[in-house]
Amino acid sequence: MCRPKMSQRSFTESAGRVMSKILMKDLASISTRINAEFKQYKAMLMVCTGTGCVAAKGFDVRDALSRAIRERGLQDTFLVVGTGCNGFCAMGPIVVVQPEGIFYQKVSEEDIPEIVAQHLIGGEPVERLMHRDPVSGAINRTMDEIKFFSKQQLIALRNKGLIDPENIDHYIARGGYESIRNVLESVSPDEVIKEILTSAIRGRGGGGFPAGVKWQSAKEAALERKETPYIVCNADEGDPGAFMDRSIIETDPHTVIEGMMIGAYAIGAKEGFVYLRKEYPLALVRLQKAIDDARACGLLGKSIMGSEFEFDIHIHRGAGAFVCGESTALMASMSGQAGEPRAKYVHNVEYGYRDKPTVLNNVETWANIPVIMDKGARWFASIGTGDVTDNPWGGSSGTKVFSLVGDINNTGLVEVPMGVTLRDIIYDIGGGILNGRAFKAVQTGGPSGGCVPAEKLDMPIDFDSLTEAGSMMGSGGMIVMDDRTCMVDIARYFVSFLMDESCGKCTPCREGLFSLYRTLTRICNGEGREGDIEFLEELAKTVNETSLCQLGGTAGNPVLSTIRYFREEYEEHIRNRRCPAGHCKALISYRISEGNCTGCTLCAKQCPVDAIAGEPKKIHVIDQDTCIKCGICYEVCRFDAVEVQ
Amino acid sequence: MADKIKITIDGKEISVQKGSYLLDAVKKTGVTVPTLCHHKDLTPTGTCRLCLCEVEVRGRRKLVTSCNYPVREEIEVYTNSEPVVNHRKILAEMYLGRWPNVPAIKYVAEMCGITESRFTSNLTDENPQACILCGRCVRACREFALEKIIDFAGRGIKRHLTMPFGEVDPHCIGCTACAFVCPTGAIEIVDDLNHPLDPQMIRDHGMKVNAEMAVLDKDQCRMREVGTANIVDVMDAYDLLPVHNYQFGTHPETWRINSKMLKARYFTQGQADGCWKGCSMACAKTIDDFELKTGPYRGQKVCVDGPEYETAAGAANMGCFDADFLAEFNFYCDTYGIDTISAATTIAFVMESFEAGAITTEHTGGLELHFGATNETLELLHQMADGRGFGVDVGQGIRWLKQKWVKEYGADPDFLHDIGMESKGLETSEYVCKESLAQQAGYGMAIKGPQHDEAWLIFMDMVNNQIPTFEDKAEALHYFPLWRTWFGLMGLCKLCWNDVVPADNYATDEPHKIPEHVDNYFKFFEGMTGIELDESKMLDQSARVYNLQRVMCRMLGYGAREDDHMPYRAMGPVTVKEYESRAERYDKQLKEIIGVDPDGKITEERVGILRRYREDQYEKVMDAVYIRRGWTRNGVPKIERLRELGIDLPELVVIVEKDQE
Repeated sequence: MCRPKMSQRSFTESAGRVMSKILMKDLASISTRINAEFKQYKAMLMVCTGTGCVAAKGFDVRDALSRAIRERGLQDTFLVVGTGCNGFCAMGPIVVVQPEGIFYQKVSEEDIPEIVAQHLIGGEPVERLMHRDPVSGAINRTMDEIKFFSKQQLIALRNKGLIDPENIDHYIARGGYESIRNVLESVSPDEVIKEILTSAIRGRGGGGFPAGVKWQSAKEAALERKETPYIVCNADEGDPGAFMDRSIIETDPHTVIEGMMIGAYAIGAKEGFVYLRKEYPLALVRLQKAIDDARACGLLGKSIMGSEFEFDIHIHRGAGAFVCGESTALMASMSGQAGEPRAKYVHNVEYGYRDKPTVLNNVETWANIPVIMDKGARWFASIGTGDVTDNPWGGSSGTKVFSLVGDINNTGLVEVPMGVTLRDIIYDIGGGILNGRAFKAVQTGGPSGGCVPAEKLDMPIDFDSLTEAGSMMGSGGMIVMDDRTCMVDIARYFVSFLMDESCGKCTPCREGLFSLYRTLTRICNGEGREGDIEFLEELAKTVNETSLCQLGGTAGNPVLSTIRYFREEYEEHIRNRRCPAGHCKALISYRISEGNCTGCTLCAKQCPVDAIAGEPKKIHVIDQDTCIKCGICYEVCRFDAVEVQ
Repeated sequence: MADKIKITIDGKEISVQKGSYLLDAVKKTGVTVPTLCHHKDLTPTGTCRLCLCEVEVRGRRKLVTSCNYPVREEIEVYTNSEPVVNHRKILAEMYLGRWPNVPAIKYVAEMCGITESRFTSNLTDENPQACILCGRCVRACREFALEKIIDFAGRGIKRHLTMPFGEVDPHCIGCTACAFVCPTGAIEIVDDLNHPLDPQMIRDHGMKVNAEMAVLDKDQCRMREVGTANIVDVMDAYDLLPVHNYQFGTHPETWRINSKMLKARYFTQGQADGCWKGCSMACAKTIDDFELKTGPYRGQKVCVDGPEYETAAGAANMGCFDADFLAEFNFYCDTYGIDTISAATTIAFVMESFEAGAITTEHTGGLELHFGATNETLELLHQMADGRGFGVDVGQGIRWLKQKWVKEYGADPDFLHDIGMESKGLETSEYVCKESLAQQAGYGMAIKGPQHDEAWLIFMDMVNNQIPTFEDKAEALHYFPLWRTWFGLMGLCKLCWNDVVPADNYATDEPHKIPEHVDNYFKFFEGMTGIELDESKMLDQSARVYNLQRVMCRMLGYGAREDDHMPYRAMGPVTVKEYESRAERYDKQLKEIIGVDPDGKITEERVGILRRYREDQYEKVMDAVYIRRGWTRNGVPKIERLRELGIDLPELVVIVEKDQE
């Protein structure tokens, strides 16, 4: 993807406030004034311009809407706002009319005149563009009525769809920078750390390490060695199918900045870095703008908001390696070295970036910090599972953002309290499995997470329960799989991803993943042997337990978890040369059942290798020697006549 | 020293240095764990994972790689627990599957009880000298040679070793450190440009030096970090830094020009330079983008090659404790082709003479040449280079100035002779030698004048106290000038002889000679020429040239006893102020060594008594050294000595004949 052009980035059309330094005492009045300005509009039209909607022409929709409004001279009545990701990515492009929350989905440029004429002028919302419940078929007029939204609890994503990420005014209007103002005014650095410890927030990037403990250790190391520590934000989100961090930055970059400011104040850092993934051009533009604006407003730099606090943030772009999400590799990469991890016997909180004590937290963790400081650690700790009163490891507090993808109706980004069940997420929020098929498993925790099967659907989700189930929280990817998914092949897919992304520095990860991949491929090809499963288990354990970093340290999980829950599927492949899910090409064949085929010729037309013969209205036949098992005939047949064997 | 920690390894208790690596402790208990990527002289990276051990920390067990696990608290270690053994077996099997014929791998596999591998694949490499990706060569290139010629490329299973862009890197100087540490012989040395007879012998001993530099230098002289500038700090601490024309040995403002300041604010480069690229010591330091304030290049940003110790100490000698001045002085001396030592020592002499009133602004062309006059000093330097004003005189050196000032300005000849730090017409290099008899003679009796290259004994005499007796000093003045002359003859650098020393050097019979390093040089010679060398052969080689040089000096009218004297500033306190700056030390010497009670005597008397004693000591040391060198009492080589060395050529004998006793 290329960098968005400047012309596509024209944002909210309100008269922007001239950037001037904001002092602590003025913040509240500025917020009030901006909100008053917003109230002068009859409605605000929130057009989603997150990456997902942008790919579906979200910019065009936004521009068309704004053009249409101007053409009718309504620019003082309606305000068009390009927001970050709304979350309901499956339905993009999305337009929400606030304050009522009327929700329009899959909006195209052609729909704009109708929305303007019928809804904005005529006062009659356009039902055609509204969301329908996938089960009951009932129309949901507002966001609140849609289950996808109503079951969520928003902390990190609290501003999604409500602000223009490129306009600092919008963030301030929603109470932004209030937390850091309050902290600077009346909370000591040690009290901030205590508050974060009490909140028991655990790192959202995958490790689940209590952030407060990390901050405290870094601060102690810095004091002991008389060094100035660093703050780093890990935005190198690399898990396939995960886009929580990208969305947070694209939606609400200032909350990340504010979180980092609070962290810097707490531990005494003067400089912070965001390690941003190369593949996130839109996030880069928005974050850079947010940093520039914050600087112009005196929220970054020297004497922030008129206080003695000094802090600035720089963006460091990654170069596209998955392993650079690992903390030591990330810091090596930031220092200009090859992005390879080192042993963590000495932690980053002691010797991190440039050998200084360094606190590294993930985007989502930072996004939570301002809210914790605002609403209080006890409020935060009361959300979630377990008892974290004295021990942050005692449970999982707060919410977690998941990216819900795969064979599910409501693809998108969801934020739920820790402890909700998989069933809640997949069936209520996610609207169930695509095409009404059966749920088979969900892969959580990114490529080196594990596959959680249907019998665990009622498991409350938190850091510890997922680990116990042989998977992990990871950064929050959730890939839902239906009954046509072959678990051996899934393990092979993730191992292949990890094999490609392994840096190759240590032996078990380099050689072990290659061998796991070879063995899994053999099984998928119908060449499995007795003893393969035991070998996979033995090897995966060694890879997990002896690898240098946590990429290798969890790389055996896809293998181990699929064997744990789907052992018989492996055995079927090996002993009976059968792929029960009908997926592994070497083990299946497609046939046309005489009973169902109507001779519609569709399959024959679509077959890329002309392997299907048959006259119209006569039964078709697949030539097995020519067939490449691509499955297109199976997909296109409207009469369930194509069978997998 | 740092704390010790008690740990238990397989039930055995052992005390280890806090922060030391677990593998060292494990080895100490006699347990052998397999390793492939580990090398004793390289930073451990823990990539082969074979040295796995199980460690119990505060009740929790975990697997760690012992080679890079620092012991920081009390732990229990299990080197052979079930998980360790099982994982190790699989790791060994992985290696055996990929590189089945590499002897190092076969050995490790055997240790782990593995003979067959389930990891054989299309990547299996039958080559017994295959690269096994241990990365030792990469580390050796970085840590031994301070280069990055060879490194890994490719991710995961595609990881391989290469030079940048897959081409032969022209920056590789062929130091062979990579090949030396390679456990499989994967790196082949294809050419030895100098065609030594036994390259392996040279390499083996060169690598020892490399390893010492990589491992020991950071705790010894820090040559890699700050170069010779480290000596500024040491000399100041030991009262040996020349300050104000060698009057004093320390100064409260030394911090302004010491190695800490230079490193923090000035040095921008620290790598092997044109001296010899690939040198593992890389003592050359450089200041980039230094903006000049004076002279023809004023306002330009330039690269300053240095400063080294002698230049920094020269600034102290002129009382110019200002690193900006130091850098500018360094740059212009280099640019004008003026030796920084001679310039600084001459100007320090001019300054003291100016302060003492021997010369005035009338003579200096208006320059107020007080100690610490940085601007005036730079102006004088530009005048010297331009051949303008007072610079024309100063450029001639101390001996010339003394003569002119006595003759034309009526200056006190005794005073000028006492404080003008030259001998044989050469300005003294930058060490205060007045408390070290050995260094006085080292300077005074050096063939080409008082420079530190020939006999730099101040460290072993004053800092390390390695030559305490009179006999020791005389022997040292025989041995070291010959030893150091030998380096020059061979074209070998002296710094890797004693600017890093083996960790166990103190335990040798003659630690001041650093026997292990002397042997390195002998082996370099032998590896190159095939001729075996020992101390006496080396001394003979050197003495032939040394005596030839002395005879030539004699031919030119120098090279006799009278030429081997130093000004009294080099031997003891010339002035009352100088005496009083170290009164305690000098009074003690009067009382305990000379046997004179200083009480009741005014300082001038004490200065006189001490002077007579010290000058007498110097005469005695000369006598002893001449005997040891086989020279006459007048300091001229005896004909029999020339005969002994096989250089009793008639044209040489003719020169020294008249001096024979």
